[in-house]
Amino acid sequence: MASCGGGENPDIVAFMKLALEQAKIAFDSLEVPVGCVIVMDGKVISRGRNRTNETRNATRHAEMEAIDVLLDQWKEKKLSKAEVSKMFSKCYLYVTCEPCIMCAGALSFLGIKEVYYGCANDKFGGCGSILSLHTTSCEEVGGKSYKCTGGIMAEEAVSLFRNFYELGNPNAPKPHRQLVQQP
Amino acid sequence: MNKFKDHESWEIIHIPDKPPFPPHQQPTVKVYAAVIDPKHANTLVRKLNHILPLENLRHVKRVRKQQLDGGSTHLSVILCLAGEDDSQLDVVPKEVVELIDSYQLETFITKVCRYAPLSKEEWVEQCKIWPTSFHPPTYNINGITGFSEEESHSVCTFMKLALDLAKSERQMVNAAVIVDPSTNEVIARACDQVYSCSSPINHEVTKNHDNMLLNSSATEEPNLLYDGVSCLYPWGWSNQKSCDSWHPLWHAAIVAIEDSAARDRNLFPGSRHDLAEIDHVQPALTYPSPKKQKTKSTDVNAYEELGSHTNGCPPESSRPYLCTGYDIYLIWEPCAMCAMALVHQRIKRIFYAFPNPNAGALGSVHRLQGEKSLNHHYAVFNVLLPQESLNRGGVTEKPSNVAHGVSL
Repeated sequence: MASCGGGENPDIVAFMKLALEQAKIAFDSLEVPVGCVIVMDGKVISRGRNRTNETRNATRHAEMEAIDVLLDQWKEKKLSKAEVSKMFSKCYLYVTCEPCIMCAGALSFLGIKEVYYGCANDKFGGCGSILSLHTTSCEEVGGKSYKCTGGIMAEEAVSLFRNFYELGNPNAPKPHRQLVQQP
Repeated sequence: MNKFKDHESWEIIHIPDKPPFPPHQQPTVKVYAAVIDPKHANTLVRKLNHILPLENLRHVKRVRKQQLDGGSTHLSVILCLAGEDDSQLDVVPKEVVELIDSYQLETFITKVCRYAPLSKEEWVEQCKIWPTSFHPPTYNINGITGFSEEESHSVCTFMKLALDLAKSERQMVNAAVIVDPSTNEVIARACDQVYSCSSPINHEVTKNHDNMLLNSSATEEPNLLYDGVSCLYPWGWSNQKSCDSWHPLWHAAIVAIEDSAARDRNLFPGSRHDLAEIDHVQPALTYPSPKKQKTKSTDVNAYEELGSHTNGCPPESSRPYLCTGYDIYLIWEPCAMCAMALVHQRIKRIFYAFPNPNAGALGSVHRLQGEKSLNHHYAVFNVLLPQESLNRGGVTEKPSNVAHGVSL
């Protein structure tokens, strides 16, 4: 996976900071801290953060939340499917953690233009870590690829995770680890 | 019971974690081995297992014993993995090099089978290369070692329910039914809603669908008539006509998962912070990988606990963790998005009728059940439908005792 230190392009860093803000909101809501923003024509058009605990739906990752915000907006404007597809092809996603296999697949189905992520997801990642769904080879059935760049402000993203898991996930099913008592 | 006698012609096939190989063509890896003096065997094996246990090759025996023509025995031991490019001893760990030196071992490169044998036949072939051990599967997941009469009866019933759902739409779609196998309760059911144009059931259309499914079981390639099946053509949503309600990602499994979550929120409205979702990243410092086994048994315990409360209003302790312990029935093998969603939601078993050569993630294109790094693993089964159940008479007769929320 291509990796850039994050220092070169100030726009990329600025958008990733906004994604990290979403991750912090998730953290404060006792959710696994992942956040994202979707950008079109240089403007943030959608934000999302992990809401799996609140919804009791483990598929409600930040990416899925941000995608649904856009679909609601565009459907309200009565855009056709072809128009919606064209819109997605102009979208850039900035997410604090490499999209999981589910989200990486979804982003390919939608035909997103490009993805920038923070830290790698070496257990569930679908953009190079476990599977490489961003470089699909299913052209004969319309498969779509997108460019994917990791390592943008990865340390900030990891430190949020570390804080979250060091506190002990208060939401983990009962027989898991003991919570650390807060002073 | 005789109502379901046709289930005997159904076949339920377990789709294993690794791709099938002919017994005599199993993948191998190269290892360094050495002939050893039998009187050093115990000490050497103990030391080697201590400094370099064969973590990913647990099925491989460390020592090979060969009878030579003269009647004497010949012992060889595996020292460590070898690089695949025949590069010499540079990959051998220092401690192993010390053993080689102090026991003056003559090393050689040989091959061992990469995966544990799944059948006695495979095991016999493996042992011709280097001895392995064979343990018939003893997973906690029911069905891998075969289904009882009663279990296969339930599987058929729920697969028929999914077939009825799929055929009730104007266009051929995928359908999903989530079931709690401990009570046979239907938890959620859904069809693809990628281009949802709800319409009353049209019997002519249903008849047409029956013929399509019949053809589908006869030919491997899904034809264009199936372009409404989201998991088969996940990129094709934008080519479809627009309808009132649609969503490019609302594949049947995704909708069924949301329905089951909504059911959970309704049944247990109070405590919204009992669940966790830990599927993004777990820093190594807090979640060392050996805990993975523990997670598995935890799921099983939670599931057993579920069965012990049955009175009236469900007690909080009976609240399932996501879809732990539940099964899902799908007409087509799910795509990577849906298959991973089912990992996230902790589904226990997946049953599907038709493989998905375009984008299937349970054996056709990818094989998520074999991705060891995931934090949850389900068992996967392909249900082969008998021809008669695809005929009009067979499927349209909806099992009357399977209704939402009603136990069999």
